[in-house]
Amino acid sequence: MTVTHLEKRDTVGRHSPRSSVIGRIFQNRYAGALISLVLVGAFLAVTQPVFLTWPNLMNIVKSNSVVFILALGATYVVISGAVDLSVASATAASAMVLGLLLLAGMPAPLAVVVAVLFGALLGAINGTLVSYFKISFFVVTLGTLSVFQSFALIVNDGASVSVFSTAGFKPINAFVNGSLGPFPKILVFDLVLLLLAGGILRYTAFGRALYAIGANPEAARLNGIDVRKVMLAVFIIAGLMAGLGSVVQVGRLTSASAEVDPTLLLTVLAAVLIGGTAFTGGEGGVFGTMIGVLFLGVIQNGLTLSGVSSFWQGMVSGLILIMAVWLGGLRQLLRRRRLSDTSKQH
Amino acid sequence: MTVVMLDPGSRAEALRDRSAVIVQLEGISKSFPGVRALGNVDLTIRAGEVHALTGENGSGKSTLSRVIAGLIQPDTGKIIIDGRESVVESPAHALDLGFVMISQELTLAPTLTVAENIFLGRLPRTRLGLVDWARLEVDATKALSRLGVHVSPHAIVSELSVELRQEVEIARALSSNARLLILDEATSSLSEAATARLLNLVRQERDAGMAILMITHRMPEIYAVASVATVLRDGRLIATVPLPETGEADLVRLMVGREISDFYGKREIPAGEKVLEVRDLCSPLGILKPTSLDVRRGEIVGVAGLVGSGKSEFGMVLGGAIPGTGSVKVDGRPVRLGDPRRTIGAGIGYVPDDRKASALLLVRSVAENFSLAWADRLSRAGILNTRLERSEVGDAIKRYRVATASAGASIATLSGGNQQKVILGRTFRRKPDVLVLSEPTRGIDVGAKSEIYRMLQDAAQDGAAVIVISSELPELLGICDRILVFFEGAVLAEFDRGEATEEAIAQVAVAGSRRQPQAKDLSGEPQ
Repeated sequence: MTVTHLEKRDTVGRHSPRSSVIGRIFQNRYAGALISLVLVGAFLAVTQPVFLTWPNLMNIVKSNSVVFILALGATYVVISGAVDLSVASATAASAMVLGLLLLAGMPAPLAVVVAVLFGALLGAINGTLVSYFKISFFVVTLGTLSVFQSFALIVNDGASVSVFSTAGFKPINAFVNGSLGPFPKILVFDLVLLLLAGGILRYTAFGRALYAIGANPEAARLNGIDVRKVMLAVFIIAGLMAGLGSVVQVGRLTSASAEVDPTLLLTVLAAVLIGGTAFTGGEGGVFGTMIGVLFLGVIQNGLTLSGVSSFWQGMVSGLILIMAVWLGGLRQLLRRRRLSDTSKQH
Repeated sequence: MTVVMLDPGSRAEALRDRSAVIVQLEGISKSFPGVRALGNVDLTIRAGEVHALTGENGSGKSTLSRVIAGLIQPDTGKIIIDGRESVVESPAHALDLGFVMISQELTLAPTLTVAENIFLGRLPRTRLGLVDWARLEVDATKALSRLGVHVSPHAIVSELSVELRQEVEIARALSSNARLLILDEATSSLSEAATARLLNLVRQERDAGMAILMITHRMPEIYAVASVATVLRDGRLIATVPLPETGEADLVRLMVGREISDFYGKREIPAGEKVLEVRDLCSPLGILKPTSLDVRRGEIVGVAGLVGSGKSEFGMVLGGAIPGTGSVKVDGRPVRLGDPRRTIGAGIGYVPDDRKASALLLVRSVAENFSLAWADRLSRAGILNTRLERSEVGDAIKRYRVATASAGASIATLSGGNQQKVILGRTFRRKPDVLVLSEPTRGIDVGAKSEIYRMLQDAAQDGAAVIVISSELPELLGICDRILVFFEGAVLAEFDRGEATEEAIAQVAVAGSRRQPQAKDLSGEPQ
């Protein structure tokens, strides 16, 4: 008995040989993004002296915080096998709620909590429609993309809300634009969120359920996972992140914009996918998403430093997205082929 | 797609020259990174002969057949076709040579009709170059009736059952006038009746001079049609033996490389108290009619029946996979139906028949596939105890003898038998009072099957009531204490271990009666 097992192990265990550190990095799902990030960073460090300065690097962090926060939520959604197309619209809607509350004189902590919960409520609407009304996530979030966008326009008749002079803006400004020594406060906040989001994925039953549902919803259901509840929670988390993102956005812009940032949705989803989270669900993680956000942020920063017109930035990030997913698919294809060559010999 | 059409003359010639060698493989080797899939394998396929290619999962059977079908190129070795050394460059080239392979994976276009699929790529044309729909229908009807399939040529493929799709695929292969037919586990998704039809057809084609290479685990099929068998193990040629002169026990021994002294390992397990009480269980949307059943601890109850007889719905309702009506009690406590969380909580462990579609997390690790079923035991207040998970998974890998490189390896790297051990193991480890297992050994090799029969009996010995739903009668006869037979949604007969025979069960399952004599017999010659 033991003998045959050992023999089988030779044919089955063909994944182990590559165990060097570099080999392991290459096997990671976000390897491509990480390597590209290093290469682009090295190139910029050589060609643009400003690039490697502390203020510039922190500027990259600050200007990509909204994307990063939304992308954490979007990573959860994509891991579970769905997509939330409404995140950018929900951010605009929450931002308008925050702006109007601040304008009405509400104290900052309360206004922030209400705005974040409002984002969560929008997420709950998505989640309820997907989970309990059994409508495709694509249809639901495409619909709410438009609904939330419209909401943001309706509440103040299409006008943005400048909050700069409100009493509540000061603490928000201090949080979003302030520093702790050399570090922007927002960087600390982002890192805390990253650890929290990563920890939940890795060390909780909820995180496992997310991967299981993304990998095979029927298997998850048959093994006692309440798929509908988990999916509702996933969309609420995405909405909650949109609410948080709206606070940072208002802090950075000093106003709540009634217009949805047209590149936000693409950038968020691109970061998630470039970071190695598979559109097919069940695979990926937030660390990769962070790499994806940084990569897109560095590219954008490099284009700006090089004096390239901002009109080009959309083209570059769109092409990078397609290329990254193509490369990811290629990697998967190669892996599948190796697998099927070896394990399908029955 | 051009196919060499064999005119009736050359077919007759082939018939005359029955021993004509169609393909001869000499010293074929093929390695993939890290693995030697084939080492120095010889194989000779003759016209008018059914050649069984057999061996455990991972033995190299499929690799060898893919070499012949032009899907992969060997590293070394010679392929001699019609006496000349040749290279099968591509699948298209294989088709030109008249080599057609039918595998488990279906390759039909789901949105097209049956007729269009049969003649896909070679639709008959009118003189104007347009599709000749009238002729297409006639030809398709002919191809289907030759196989004995009752399906309209106008039916859309996506609306057909898996079984019918497989038969359409076979009709397509045969209508292309192949001279070598490679059946790669082609019967794995067919019911007994359809398998019998296919085997009859294989006999016909064999007698008409076609060469058939049949890759299968199923002993009854091998003995029903094959006259020679080649056994591979770990990529090496073990033996080519004549059939039926070589007995089943010898063949199995060649496959696994050891004596399986008692394949089923049936133990006498004393039945305990009644633990499962089922009354008038129905699937309101499905085909299950009111069914009642009591099972005691330690009992292993088999459930037989054709595809569509309601036997798998019975398991699905019990497992909470689909809604149902009626009453189910475990240990006297009523179970709410239609919700897997409730049935699990009530002590029912259900393993569905379709591993890939409803049991495996294919992109996740072996460890996560185990712990999927253990969330409540491994976590407290939602936080996972990863150390406990590691030790539990490590124990389970050892206990259920899962051959894997590590707990962290992707489950996709495991053979079907080892994947199934993970799925059964994670369910058994929860120590349910009632186990409902649908096709627990489908598509897995002989060695793993034997281990799974042992696992089932261990669970029964630990006090579980075990229900095994299976299309493989020999395994039901081998391990069950009694066998229920479903026919058109209801249990029509129950056999005790002593009185059950394959013929008796098949008669009920196929004809719906014990008295009607016209049972399908898998192993016999055509009537």
